[in-house]
Amino acid sequence: MAGFVDFEITWRADVFSGAPQSSSAAEFGTVGINFRARKPRNEAEWTAALPALNCEVPPTRWSAVPTVGWGAVPA
Amino acid sequence: MSDIVVEDFVLNLADLRAAISEEYTSVALKPEQGFHFHTGRPLARLLNYRDEWLEGMPETSIESLAGTGNPFSLGQLQPGQRVVDVGCGAGIDSLIAAKMVGPTGQVIGVDMTPAMLNKARRAAAEAGLTNIEFREGYAEALPVPDSWADVIISNGVLNLMPDKVAALSEMARVLRSPDPESGKPTARLQIGDILVQKAVPEDAKNDISLWTG
Repeated sequence: MAGFVDFEITWRADVFSGAPQSSSAAEFGTVGINFRARKPRNEAEWTAALPALNCEVPPTRWSAVPTVGWGAVPA
Repeated sequence: MSDIVVEDFVLNLADLRAAISEEYTSVALKPEQGFHFHTGRPLARLLNYRDEWLEGMPETSIESLAGTGNPFSLGQLQPGQRVVDVGCGAGIDSLIAAKMVGPTGQVIGVDMTPAMLNKARRAAAEAGLTNIEFREGYAEALPVPDSWADVIISNGVLNLMPDKVAALSEMARVLRSPDPESGKPTARLQIGDILVQKAVPEDAKNDISLWTG
């Protein structure tokens, strides 16, 4: 059993605008985020979470390309 | 070091790590220089770090803060917990964690940039914190035993790794295995990082300068 469940992005914001030097952040709409996840309590919880594995972020006002997916995250 | 193939792009991992280490050596040694990201106390305010977290902390550690999020907003660290800070830099997040977990807890900060580690060690000594140590290493091969940590924090680091699965696998390895009878909550990640809102073109993924700037 290797992975994480209950993945959640709890915050996102522009943390690059106004930095002393220009960057590629604006070009790609880069934002800072906070995310959390936890280890499954047991094999059963991990098995139950796997079908929800999805690397697409649901459409919101942010059309983000995540570095990790929602739901179960295999490690 | 050989090239690493991840998804559809090819990077020389040694070159990438050298470029990142060069950038963050400057953040350690010349924090006043100004970078393409915010640093120090202005960044801490932007990321909603509480004043009490920074109170009494060595300015040398605060000035080189270069994260992108706020790991401490994701869950309360408890006395006695073991925490690993992946990509600890000059150590301010590790120091904050060390205060939160108290003398019965432990913190290990890991970073690949010697100048940052040196700064972190001096800061811990200046702060009088003895429940913390800093180890040189890579996120893809953490110098931490299996099942050691209750919480892993990291701030603005995962985005610098081409093989994020390898880094997350290491985090999973280091986090404590579930123990329902202990009554402890399951071990967890509390991570600050970044997202892009436009897909990065394949040729851009091979441009090391875009990884660091």
